[in-house]
Amino acid sequence: MNERSKILALLLAGGKGERLYPLTRDRAKPAVPFGGTYRIVDFSLSNAINSGLRKIYVLIQYKCHSLQKHIRDGWNIFSRELGEFVDLVPAQMRIGDQWYLGTADSVFQNIYFLDQEKPEHVLILSGDHIYKMDYRRLIDFHKEKNADLTISVFEVSVNEARRFGVLEVDKNFCVTSFYEKPSEPCPSSTNPAVSFISMGIYLFKTETLVRRLIEDAKNTASTHDFGRDVIPAMLGKDRVFAFPFIDENRKETKYWRDIGTIDAYYDANMDLANVDPLLNLYDRQWPIRTYQEQLPPAKTVFSEGERSAMVQDSIISGGCIVSGARVRHSILSPWVRLHSYAEVLDSILLDNVEIGRYARIRRAIIDKNVKVPEDATIGYNPDEDRKRFTISEGHVVVVPKGYQW
Amino acid sequence: MKKLLLIEDEANLRILYTEELKKEGYDVVCAENGMEAIKILEGTVVDLVITDIRMPQMNGLEALSNILGLRKGVPVIIYTSYPQYKTDFMSWAADAYLIKSSDLSELKAKIKELLGERKK
Repeated sequence: MNERSKILALLLAGGKGERLYPLTRDRAKPAVPFGGTYRIVDFSLSNAINSGLRKIYVLIQYKCHSLQKHIRDGWNIFSRELGEFVDLVPAQMRIGDQWYLGTADSVFQNIYFLDQEKPEHVLILSGDHIYKMDYRRLIDFHKEKNADLTISVFEVSVNEARRFGVLEVDKNFCVTSFYEKPSEPCPSSTNPAVSFISMGIYLFKTETLVRRLIEDAKNTASTHDFGRDVIPAMLGKDRVFAFPFIDENRKETKYWRDIGTIDAYYDANMDLANVDPLLNLYDRQWPIRTYQEQLPPAKTVFSEGERSAMVQDSIISGGCIVSGARVRHSILSPWVRLHSYAEVLDSILLDNVEIGRYARIRRAIIDKNVKVPEDATIGYNPDEDRKRFTISEGHVVVVPKGYQW
Repeated sequence: MKKLLLIEDEANLRILYTEELKKEGYDVVCAENGMEAIKILEGTVVDLVITDIRMPQMNGLEALSNILGLRKGVPVIIYTSYPQYKTDFMSWAADAYLIKSSDLSELKAKIKELLGERKK
């Protein structure tokens, strides 16, 4: 048995992503499309596969149809006969309870799967984040420290840290405090400008995990959340360590994004269309895989003066046709169709969006299956846009899935 | 009077245990499986639960998970003929794991201990 097969990965993919509304109106946050052909969850799953993990349960609950389909179609790649799997686990719905009470409760309610596999360690991942990480480095660190729990940590500015779980560590990277969303985050001991935040990646010794989850389940005052309840209760009692994130993206600055808001979502997507994006999707050393149907190649047609197809600084997915239209600094998901004289600037168009002749789109996110009529404009008149659509703080207009004019 | 909930699918044992526990001065309510037990717990205040594991509809370990989900802080004793469920992680959530015996003294002592602890 190889070392990696003693590790069971649980990917928590029930995130609601409320601040991503209306992109999360019909789908859970991990199922939100990203970068043309991906979904947010593809990053954690790809990391797991690239790290040699072969036993993965994906815990789903809220609005899971789209996520279920994506994972069933795209990630059913293992051999069960060899004990390898990526399995979807829907919320079992305890009698009386609607959904999981918190992240810890979602694992506690599925403790049965730990019985089946009897892993030595359990790696808990979140399906909400975009990053590239080799979990083997975390696993090695965890074993070296003989830790009960190792939390992967990322450095952000003290100000930004307020939105996250903030850790204090000693010189051996032993965690001495953990506060969820503190008003005054403590800086790291080496650099007063930054704080260590939890990336929502937890590697537990199985036995410790079970014992602490049971204690938490019995604690009637608990909110049953890893960050708020389980981890703080372990400090001073168990061996809890912080593992500073090692980035497989191999750029100057480390890349990890919690795509929490529409503006963060917009910026992270737009970055991909830059000459030298912060996130490199073209690295064969660390491939990010996804589910894609068989698609014809993207194509551009017409080059007759005003009626010319022109595509600049953009991502164009398979199945797209840019027909006599102009596209600049935009992301086009599969099957997008742009008609003559239309113009798309600084925008994200999701699958199956059609832009009519002479329509002009600027700084917008258009969700799937929207047909923008001829001559329509989006992103030029905020008052008009606001009547029909959501507009983010950063002035990005979001047209919801299937919107009809 | 302390109230005990006994979850046991075998009628003979249910009657026997109920009589024995009543002699000890407890009020005893019974359920034939986990499902029934949860319904009782939702509407009744109980001081302690004693549950078998192998039962139809909902076994004792699933019942235990659901009892914790009710968040009433009620202690639970697993009372089974099978020691092998001790390796099931959910069984660790019980306050005691006892093997059934014709002599109920171990069970009675454990009930006293757990109810005594709760008074503190």
